[in-house]
Amino acid sequence: MSDKDTNDEPMRVDTDLVKRLAEMLDENDLSEIEVEDNGRRIVVKRKLSVAAAPVAAAPAPARAAAPATAPPAEPEAPARDAAGTVKSPMVGTVFLSAEPSAPPFVSVGDRVAEGDTLLIIEAMKVMNPIVAPRAGTVREILVQDAQPVEYEQPLAIID
Amino acid sequence: MAIEPIKKILIANRGEIALRIHRACHEMGIKTVAVHSTADTEAMHVRLADEAICIGPPPAAESYLNIPAIISAAEISHADAIHPGYGFLSENAQFAEIVETHDIVWIGPKPEHIRTMGDKIEAKLTAGRLGLPLVPGSAGPVETFEEARLVAAKTGYPLIVKAASGGGGRGMKVVTSEAQLETQIGQARSEAKGAFGDDTVYIEKYLGDPRHIEFQIFGDGNGNAIHLGERDCSLQRRHQKVLEEAPSPAISAEQREHMGGIVARAMADMSYRGAGTIEFLYENGEFYFIEMNTRLQVEHPVTEAITGLDLVREQIRIAEGHPLTLRQQDVQFRGHSIECRINAEDPRTFAPSPGMVKQYHAPGGMNVRVDSGLYAGYKVPPYYDSMIAKLIVYGTTRAGAMRRLRRALEEFVIEGMKTTIPLHQRLIEDPEFQAGDYTIKWLEEWLARQED
Repeated sequence: MSDKDTNDEPMRVDTDLVKRLAEMLDENDLSEIEVEDNGRRIVVKRKLSVAAAPVAAAPAPARAAAPATAPPAEPEAPARDAAGTVKSPMVGTVFLSAEPSAPPFVSVGDRVAEGDTLLIIEAMKVMNPIVAPRAGTVREILVQDAQPVEYEQPLAIID
Repeated sequence: MAIEPIKKILIANRGEIALRIHRACHEMGIKTVAVHSTADTEAMHVRLADEAICIGPPPAAESYLNIPAIISAAEISHADAIHPGYGFLSENAQFAEIVETHDIVWIGPKPEHIRTMGDKIEAKLTAGRLGLPLVPGSAGPVETFEEARLVAAKTGYPLIVKAASGGGGRGMKVVTSEAQLETQIGQARSEAKGAFGDDTVYIEKYLGDPRHIEFQIFGDGNGNAIHLGERDCSLQRRHQKVLEEAPSPAISAEQREHMGGIVARAMADMSYRGAGTIEFLYENGEFYFIEMNTRLQVEHPVTEAITGLDLVREQIRIAEGHPLTLRQQDVQFRGHSIECRINAEDPRTFAPSPGMVKQYHAPGGMNVRVDSGLYAGYKVPPYYDSMIAKLIVYGTTRAGAMRRLRRALEEFVIEGMKTTIPLHQRLIEDPEFQAGDYTIKWLEEWLARQED
């Protein structure tokens, strides 16, 4: 790559422009500026100290950080949201459709709106609808019909 | 009635007692289901159980006290019985009823007995009817000041005003003269109202310096009951037991037989089922009933040590419908046992000290028992009780048990947090402790002296 300093031949770079762009980046607290003019393109980026979360991560290792010595009242919510993973709020048995012969509430690839029922968890004879926390596409359904689930078990991924 | 063997038990508890129950189950060939919060995923009993089900977040109200989650876990795992351990839901009559209505075997007393003994006034009335000696005082709640004044005149001062729904020392007021009576009752009522939502109070004679002596009992639920002798739990700090021993250094064999006979008859008369403990204050040769615990106790191993009976196994057998393993005449008391409760606390300030166990070495050798879920690398969560281990020793004599205890405490290594091991080491060197000369006030006074 030629973005390192090399002594071979002078690069045709408008260092003043880069400098000015870098200042603008700083002043406006931006992370990236891209300018293009007659086929010349300059991108100035800044590495943020906190890496942005990957958009569609695999099921998050949400548990790893939560338990034990951490001070109390550390919610598990952020990890769940960041990953788009819908987790079980209770112990029970999953049902993917309203009744055995009915089609499933959702299938992989479906678009869902916030509040749409994804599945049902039966606990102590009570049917608890589990709804989409936000609009998105069903990427994965991680449980099977009639499967027992525990608290915080990942049920589906929506992004 | 045909006996249906229990095949799988859900353990609705955590920590050392969950492990204790798991051990009894596996020795009996019974499968175990551990239910746990997200804070206990790495707990030893969860790792050892045949199945583990996460039932909620760290706060106990949402996990270990979450009745729907626990029943649901029993249903999805097809557990045929639930053992509640101690604390949490163990004395919740409603939970016991729910378990039974779901056709799950409740390893505990009949729900109505849990309810009766859970209400202090009801418990006292019942104990009185069953012939247990009571602390003199009001027969039931005191409604008016005039009534209180009459009871007080009969009982004598000092007396204590107690909240019916109280516990752990809250809602209690000591009254030394009639002049204070009205204001102290008023204070006890408002404290009780605030803490328990119930301002019912009653009056008892105040015992100045008693011992805490409790009798272990077992009933088969069909009118047969036995006692397994007493435990002396006088060494307490802020109403929390610190060290227990059996037999009590203050009770003679005749007293044991006499009082044990009274409690066993009382339990037979009420057709009590399973394990229970009847607690007494003991002063000047007299026993005074304070309360009954309708569950297994933390300190049950000292009774196991001197009787040779596995109390958890016995609970499970009775829940299955078996008769009592022993008749009273088969119960033999041999030797002496002492238990130290080891907490993750600063041994001087008692500040909690949760954290990661960096090194762990449990003492061993003859007649040494450690009940603990600790292991190197385990993190003691900050959400629950600070008790992390129980060390139980046995000796043929009390002096022998104390020597063994000293040796076992020396061997015990728990690194990574502060523990109360050094407290026990100092305590057992005290000449008054060694002489068995202590009461329920003794430990707090001893601790105050240590500060000087």
